[in-house]
Amino acid sequence: MMMEEIKTTIIDRIKLHFSDAVEKEFSYNRLDFSVKKETVPSILFYLKEEMGFKHLSHISCVDWLEEGEFEMIFILWSPEEKIKVFIHTRVDRSNPVMDNIDMIWRQANTYEREMKEMYGIQFTGLEAPEEFLLEDWNGPPPMRRDFDTEAYAAKTYWERPGREDALDVRETVEKRTGEVLPEFAKKYKR
Amino acid sequence: MINDKNSQKIVDIIRNYARKHSLWILAYGTGCGAIELPPTMTSRYDAERLGVRGAATPRQADLLLITGYLTTKSLKRVIRVYEQMQDPKYVIGFGSCTINGGMYWDSYNTIKALDRYLPVDVYINGCMPRPEAVLSGFAKLQELIQDGKANGAKEYKENLKWYRDNQKKVITNWKMPEYNW
Repeated sequence: MMMEEIKTTIIDRIKLHFSDAVEKEFSYNRLDFSVKKETVPSILFYLKEEMGFKHLSHISCVDWLEEGEFEMIFILWSPEEKIKVFIHTRVDRSNPVMDNIDMIWRQANTYEREMKEMYGIQFTGLEAPEEFLLEDWNGPPPMRRDFDTEAYAAKTYWERPGREDALDVRETVEKRTGEVLPEFAKKYKR
Repeated sequence: MINDKNSQKIVDIIRNYARKHSLWILAYGTGCGAIELPPTMTSRYDAERLGVRGAATPRQADLLLITGYLTTKSLKRVIRVYEQMQDPKYVIGFGSCTINGGMYWDSYNTIKALDRYLPVDVYINGCMPRPEAVLSGFAKLQELIQDGKANGAKEYKENLKWYRDNQKKVITNWKMPEYNW
């Protein structure tokens, strides 16, 4: 079967079973669906058991600070059809609770632990040790966009004096050598 | 043995000579710097001709090589490793990450200056230092040992409180054994 036909079949079947799924097509072998967060476990289970998406490639998270939401992305891969499906969902940022899916894929447990630590997303019924990568961490989840890394580092760790002028390389070069920055480079200044 | 000043001086010279030619290193490969060690040790640069070779455990090693950035998590392990080492012991800070944070200067989880937490005898500059730079660092350390100036371990024992305070500032949950050397 051609890739286009496979994609149409997948879209038809998903839309038949999950009415809230909104599809978005990308070039060649990628297909995206946006669903509500309650649908995520059932759509993942359906894709794995019925449609041959056996492999969970990745779970990722995006912090949409301005919209007050986290976006979670599940990337699945079908070894037979050679096609990948992205499942997008949005979680409220002030109360980030998500369904645990590690009974579908055991390896999801690791991703969930990481997201719990780095973004502070709670997974209902997740059985895992408290700490994953960080040890004795007291601050807010470090991968959230409202966490100021630079201020935290300046507060916590002692900095050796002598590199105050070298924070922005372009500016330093400009100051030391008198070389004028081109217009396009100026917008990337700190 | 005649216990006067001059005979002690001769003993020191012989002892330092022996020490400087048998630097057994424990490479603590935290960052990218561990990649520079295989070419340093193997046939092209051949550090073993200077008496530098790898050691299996901290208790057999003379020299702790810290090759790159240290997170607070790995700093804890490094401190334990350093305190387990037998005298004489030396530390080389390797790369700009150990000197001033390097490219991780604004990271939430890495320390910026190693000598606040452990006594560093020699720093090797660079990101990353080439094997030639590493060898020159070893040569510098040998020079210091011959002159009796590589006193990092002694300094650590004398200023233990200052080092401990700094260590406890970043390692909040301090559950480490206290050694009584």
